Amino acid sequence: MEVRSELHLKLDKDEPRRVAEEFEEIAMEHGVPMGVVFKFQLALDELLTNVVSYAFDESVDPVITVVLHFTDAQVTAVIEDNGRPFNPLQDAPAPDLDLSAEDRTVGGLGIHLTKAFVETLDYERKDGWNRLSLVQPLSAHPEEHA
Amino acid sequence: MNVETSVSGTTAVATVSGRVDSANAKDFDQALRAIIDQGVSGLVVDCSGLKYMSSAGLRVLLIAIRKTNAAGGGLALCRVPEHIREVLEVSGFVRLTKVFDTPEDAQASFSG
Repeated sequence: MEVRSELHLKLDKDEPRRVAEEFEEIAMEHGVPMGVVFKFQLALDELLTNVVSYAFDESVDPVITVVLHFTDAQVTAVIEDNGRPFNPLQDAPAPDLDLSAEDRTVGGLGIHLTKAFVETLDYERKDGWNRLSLVQPLSAHPEEHA
Repeated sequence: MNVETSVSGTTAVATVSGRVDSANAKDFDQALRAIIDQGVSGLVVDCSGLKYMSSAGLRVLLIAIRKTNAAGGGLALCRVPEHIREVLEVSGFVRLTKVFDTPEDAQASFSG
């Protein structure tokens, strides 16, 4: 199996869902285990929600692309945007999970979930572009195969 | 996303189904606020039909947990699908709210 899909996003809060659902559709069609589908689409949703919510001011014409790539061995996604430099893997505040409901904030929770759910995450800033790559091996979850 | 509500005195069951993400978390928030504003202090969220929930949904639950705690009750979850349960565990929400198997068990936790 090898499938590649390239998506272009508008600067709109509904766009992460479109990508998450597109990912889910392709993944389900190709027998990606349910557990992997859920975790990976959550990561895509969280990272793209950050991009459409915070990456842009009015000084640039926003370009956001996602390339999804499925093989038998792994699922990968590459998210690129020309917004302000932001490395969510380092720059997002780490949530304190020991606080009470009254003292907790949910800032950083999306990234915390993303890091917990995706095997390999990388960020680079190059020539005015943020580039995030996500890699999830499929062989690591044999027990989840339907 | 859809939320069906059944209120009985100061407790209520909100059955949420579909997807909760940043695009519609505001609707989920409004639905829970509307229930709590009816004088409900013990809120059960039945997640049996919940297909997907991101951190945007956790934010809404956190607000509802605070409001129901402040009213002397709390928020309990029930019938949580396995993948959503993992989100609750990784985010530490299992320490902020109890998770029950059935809505009856969850509701009973408020009458003790």
